[in-house]
Amino acid sequence: MSTILEQKCPNCGGAVEFNTVAQRLKCPYCDTEFDITAMPEDTANQVEQVNWNSQGNQWAAGETDGMSVYACNSCGGEIVADSTTGATSCPYCGNQVVMKGQFSGALKPDLVIPFKLDKKAAKEALKKHISTKKFVPKSFLADNRLEEIKGVYVPHWLFTCDAVGNANYKATKVRKWSDENYNYTETSYFDVYRSGNIGFDNIPVDGSTKMPDDLMESVEPFDLSQAVDFNTAYLAGYLADKYDVTAEESMPRANERIRQSIIDSFRETVKGYDDIENQGANMNIANGIYKYALYPVWLLNTSWNGEKFTFAMNGQTGKFVGNIPTDKKAVTKASLLLGAGIGAVIYGLMWLIELL
Amino acid sequence: MTKKIFAALVAVIICLSVAISASAYTQEYVIDYADKLSSSEIEELNLFAEKLETAYGVAVLFCITESTGDVSADEFAEETYGDYTDNKNGIIIVHDDWNKTYCVFTSGNAGEYLTDAAVDSMKDAYDLNESYYGGIYACYDLAMEYLENGYTGGYVYNDDEFVYAGEADDPKTENEKDGVSIIWLPVSLLIGLLVGFLIINSIASKNKSVKMQENATVYTRPGSMNITGSADNFLYKNLDRTEKPKQTEKK
Repeated sequence: MSTILEQKCPNCGGAVEFNTVAQRLKCPYCDTEFDITAMPEDTANQVEQVNWNSQGNQWAAGETDGMSVYACNSCGGEIVADSTTGATSCPYCGNQVVMKGQFSGALKPDLVIPFKLDKKAAKEALKKHISTKKFVPKSFLADNRLEEIKGVYVPHWLFTCDAVGNANYKATKVRKWSDENYNYTETSYFDVYRSGNIGFDNIPVDGSTKMPDDLMESVEPFDLSQAVDFNTAYLAGYLADKYDVTAEESMPRANERIRQSIIDSFRETVKGYDDIENQGANMNIANGIYKYALYPVWLLNTSWNGEKFTFAMNGQTGKFVGNIPTDKKAVTKASLLLGAGIGAVIYGLMWLIELL
Repeated sequence: MTKKIFAALVAVIICLSVAISASAYTQEYVIDYADKLSSSEIEELNLFAEKLETAYGVAVLFCITESTGDVSADEFAEETYGDYTDNKNGIIIVHDDWNKTYCVFTSGNAGEYLTDAAVDSMKDAYDLNESYYGGIYACYDLAMEYLENGYTGGYVYNDDEFVYAGEADDPKTENEKDGVSIIWLPVSLLIGLLVGFLIINSIASKNKSVKMQENATVYTRPGSMNITGSADNFLYKNLDRTEKPKQTEKK
């Protein structure tokens, strides 16, 4: 038994979607727009409890683990999704549905950053991203096909804390001079120590195992000042996942980034040396709190030569990332050409200097 | 991209060609401020002087003027020499046609075989000739004789006769020293290839834009960093001494 929520238009009863431009809900059938706050979070006529009984073959034990079945409020079609899916579309009628139970009680996000950029912007960004890169195989440009584009609210844990720490550095100063017969190099070694505290606000850590962590960290940062209190209405028209990585499991990653920040920030205060090398750091976290938020990300999947490429765009700022294959032959050719050119210039300059 | 690199390469080659052709431009050896020679005569005399420089590496310049201006004759000769040639070894004979005086400036080792006696004989030859062209031609002819005797036989003109002064350096070998050895070509190419490889791979690496963040500095609360403890302790020092490479003496 599962519960789903479908935001319906009060005028025509059609399923409404969140519009990124107007930042309001809009009915694609009658074009009526509504404020998010005007839409009830949960009403009797919008929520339906569906009981279903399996017929025919029975699922084997464990086969349905991690899977949930919902019924579409509009057409009654069966929606099968994994246990972390929080919002999706009906495969039969296309209506957007939100699995309400995924965001209730303790699972309710504290914040959501609404999408500011739409699908068209994501497509254009992909085009621009690929066209501005160098040494991309020509066949990739010609045959690369956009297979899927989806706007996803990705669950993130946001960590806020005061970090108290210290760091040690090995620093060197180099002095050079010469006399009539010898060149001298004097290297002085120092042990440098710094301690102090730094405050951090809302360090995000990806809370979904479905999303590659490096992809999610690459589209950072998000502007949390534009975040709003969570409302399921924002999810209309997009996919959404609930977290399947807990805050406790995400803490080590946040700690790792905080520790490196302490090393890097304290290093900025070490001045007057020619070389500085970190030797270690310690830290303690105080006043640590965490929040649960949904971040808007456009995911674009393409394929080329049987290989899949995933790109991501920050749905708020438009920052676009994604690895593109490199034409190794073109790189080698260009390296040789440029190298020969630079070599010729060096030799030519030697001649000119000699002649002058 | 490849097309752009190719275009840049062509541009570099063109620039180099222009620079080298500019450096190979035939310079003037005969400077006629007094307007006593025709352009064809100047051209012919320049060719003669160029032949001398090519064979012996010595620039022989001749200047006819009617005034040295505000500067002394010596300064005028030195400045004119510097204005018209970059050769470190050479000589210029300046003839002030108005005052009927001469001034000579010698640079580098040109005086080794174009001795004072040799220059005096060149001036005499110039004076004895009726035409300016004939006089300068006679000068160059004598210069050719003195340089040839010097570089091929080791003879120096002194006191109206050639005196043996020992083996001379081969002027052609001297000329070769002015260029850059061909050995440097593969070395330059190797350096170029290394730099080219680094540049191109740096550009190509931008195709990878997905990576984990190193730190959380962007989430630092503004003004929250407070350094409470700081120490810079000297540990020790190392002193390295390397002998300077000694320069080999020139012959």
